[in-house]
Amino acid sequence: MAMPADKRNLARPTVTLVIIAAVLTVGLVTLANLTRDRIARNQEVWIKQHLDALVAPQSYDNDPLTDTIEVIAPDLLGTAAPVTAYRMRKGGLPVAVAIRSIAPDGYRGPLELLVAIAPGGQLIGVQVIRHNETPGLGDAFENRDAGWLDKFRGLSLSKPPQQRWTVRRDGGDFDAFTGATITPRAIVKAVRRTLEFYQGNEDRLYQDGKPR
Amino acid sequence: MNTPAAHNDDAEGLSVRPGAASNFPPPPARHRAFGSTLQLLALCPLLAVSDTVVKALGFGALVLVIFPLATLLLAAVRRWLDESIVLPCSLLVTAGLVTAAELFMRAWFHDLGASFGVFLPLLAVNVVVIDQLQTSSADRGTALIRSVRIAVGIALTLIALGLARELVGRGSLLSGAATLFGSWAQQLEIKVFSVDMGFLLALLPPGAFISLGLLIAARNWMARRKSTPP
Repeated sequence: MAMPADKRNLARPTVTLVIIAAVLTVGLVTLANLTRDRIARNQEVWIKQHLDALVAPQSYDNDPLTDTIEVIAPDLLGTAAPVTAYRMRKGGLPVAVAIRSIAPDGYRGPLELLVAIAPGGQLIGVQVIRHNETPGLGDAFENRDAGWLDKFRGLSLSKPPQQRWTVRRDGGDFDAFTGATITPRAIVKAVRRTLEFYQGNEDRLYQDGKPR
Repeated sequence: MNTPAAHNDDAEGLSVRPGAASNFPPPPARHRAFGSTLQLLALCPLLAVSDTVVKALGFGALVLVIFPLATLLLAAVRRWLDESIVLPCSLLVTAGLVTAAELFMRAWFHDLGASFGVFLPLLAVNVVVIDQLQTSSADRGTALIRSVRIAVGIALTLIALGLARELVGRGSLLSGAATLFGSWAQQLEIKVFSVDMGFLLALLPPGAFISLGLLIAARNWMARRKSTPP
């Protein structure tokens, strides 16, 4: 049986909690506002480092960080969320586009990739920009097998042919890492699918302005 | 059946800190042992950030700031708190603190903060657990000193584990120092020996538990040597 006294006793703590929550919210919102620019700049520096590793900055004259387009293709880009594509141009002519696609089937969750493609559909290179793979095994592309990602340079949908676009164990052309097959398999598949997406959307990817 | 006695028991079980009175006697030794076990358990989620020295240093520094700050804040608001909302309020305050720490890391130590992943937010749980253990702490000063001591203990444990795990797992020390100290620190990395894969187990989560076990064993061994005269 709830007594009226209980109800009255509930009011004060509730008000106290609400006040504390409000004070905390104000404090956090202030801090978020103070740090927002810095955090955004850090993100830009971070993505720019990966872009520079793929495409030499002197080969284009626009700012790919602002010349972006958001595309949605859950089947080919590995995520239902919008995917950012950075466009690089020189004198208005397309030089490359870098698509932030997802390899959804990594060993420990999805891997975030940056796939740079030249006009015509030839791969410029691939970077893994975020992942959770097992240290020492699935992350071999970062240290032990550091040249592995370089092998994507110059490949396209027809080179190698479709049935060989997978790891050696599945009859393909790509080496796996010692002790880890799932990670390279996921990356190869995601790169291939990103290329397929590019082939079907090349014109749209370079179109000016944001999509409506 | 809702007998008055059962009702009382219930209330006792639910009340969060029965010993909040100011001059409560220190807990018996058995309680202290229980407390240290809980502290040990509270340490476990933090082990994941001890795979390199730099991560351990960075996280240890955060712990050193967040723990005393949380104690001070909670002590400051406690006088307005009804006993029934001490726990939700501790959660709110520590979650807020940890969120602030996360924003700070993302703004000033972006890469290091990213490598902490979910374990920085998880720190809130540790703070609450340890704060709840301080039921008998009388005045603010004692509580503060105690939380600083706990934080120092956690930081030192993390650093010791980081040293051992990075050395065994990668054969290096201070790799990635640039993420904590800025780009000049790149040359701080010491390559002790060169390994292809290192001793992988040391870097994986089980390695953290094994290292912690060894650390506790060493501590117990030293404590026993001290207590038994030669």
